[in-house]
Amino acid sequence: MKTAKYLRILALGAVLLAAVRPASAQLFPNSYINIDWQVNVPLGNDLADKASGWGMNFEGGYFVTPEIAVGPFISYHTNLESLSRRTLDLGNGSALTAAQKHALFQLPFGATGRYTWMQKSVFQPYAGLKLGACYAELSSYYYVLKQYTDTWGFYLSPEIGASIFPDPSYRIGIHIALYYSYATNNGDVLTYSVNNLNNFGIRVGISF
Amino acid sequence: MTVKKLHYLAIALFALAAGACQKEPSTSGLNEDYLVYTDHDTATDFAAFETYFLPDSILVIGSRDKSEYWKDADALQIVNTVAERLDAAGYTRTAEVDTADLGIQLSYVRQRTYFVGYDQPYWWWYYPYYWSPGYWGDWLGWHYPYRVYYGYTAGSLLIEMLNLDGGDTTSRTLPIVWDSFIGGLLTSSTEVNLQRTTAAVKQAFAQSPYLYQAQ
Repeated sequence: MKTAKYLRILALGAVLLAAVRPASAQLFPNSYINIDWQVNVPLGNDLADKASGWGMNFEGGYFVTPEIAVGPFISYHTNLESLSRRTLDLGNGSALTAAQKHALFQLPFGATGRYTWMQKSVFQPYAGLKLGACYAELSSYYYVLKQYTDTWGFYLSPEIGASIFPDPSYRIGIHIALYYSYATNNGDVLTYSVNNLNNFGIRVGISF
Repeated sequence: MTVKKLHYLAIALFALAAGACQKEPSTSGLNEDYLVYTDHDTATDFAAFETYFLPDSILVIGSRDKSEYWKDADALQIVNTVAERLDAAGYTRTAEVDTADLGIQLSYVRQRTYFVGYDQPYWWWYYPYYWSPGYWGDWLGWHYPYRVYYGYTAGSLLIEMLNLDGGDTTSRTLPIVWDSFIGGLLTSSTEVNLQRTTAAVKQAFAQSPYLYQAQ
């Protein structure tokens, strides 16, 4: 299984290399692809509010005009939080005392659009908006158990960023972005509730 | 940054993406602490009970064919901690089962792993080394008058409180009106296990204030 996994990664890497050849050999003309590592900071939820770098973002777009591109995106992120031992009143006469580790896993996907300025320059800033669905798993790990809730919600995320192409003759560069996201996911785990998901974060990766 | 370096960065990012998606937290630290879960029958008036009977040994749920009982000084310390908490709650220990309102069962799960479900009313038949219902009188078994879902895993202590006056004469079963599941007692140190167990027993009573209605 491990060999198959490495072969898959190798094959995907080969496709990626082909895609980042000089602009004249680009696999998808008039388009862009971003692959980013991201740092996500959850805001205002009592399940897992610690920033983490356990996530990535993938998106691509087709330039319907020289400035405007639309396409699909998918990203994922996990935020964790450790809780020392505490007693929870679970209702109906039961109570639980345990140390816990919480995990908030978010997987939004959908459509993205962006407006890009200075398309011919090395530094190409843009403003974008992502819309779609968000799957989120809310988990509490304690003792040898994992208790979790699956949730779905509507996803919206404005974003500003820039693609930086050091060598104009090559369609490969660095991508940086700052985003905020909101999702309507609601759910409960033990005595912890999540009512909507708010996040902000940064993305750093490649653009081609 | 050269284009060649960017190629490497692209491959590294893609390998990272393909190799990991959902991050699971490390749970190793969770074994360094105990877990206490308690539940009870909310329809039971605990103030109505005055006396309890507590055996001086702990039944061991292990892998042997015969029932095993844990009776050494460590077991006695655990039993005495339970008795001390029950006394503090206002109940009186009796030496005779027949005159007790409550029966207290202590079981230590040494090796087996079980999961108990409310949806299986005859679950106790799957526990060959469990407390015999006949220990408490002419009974065939016991039942939970409330919903229960929990697992028995190695290194666990179970404390169950039976209402000896509330038996169902039709089914000949006794109700368990309070139960406590304590996990995380299987470290390599016997001393640590004992300290953790007595602390967890005290916690089980501390998070069950309704038991103190007998005062």
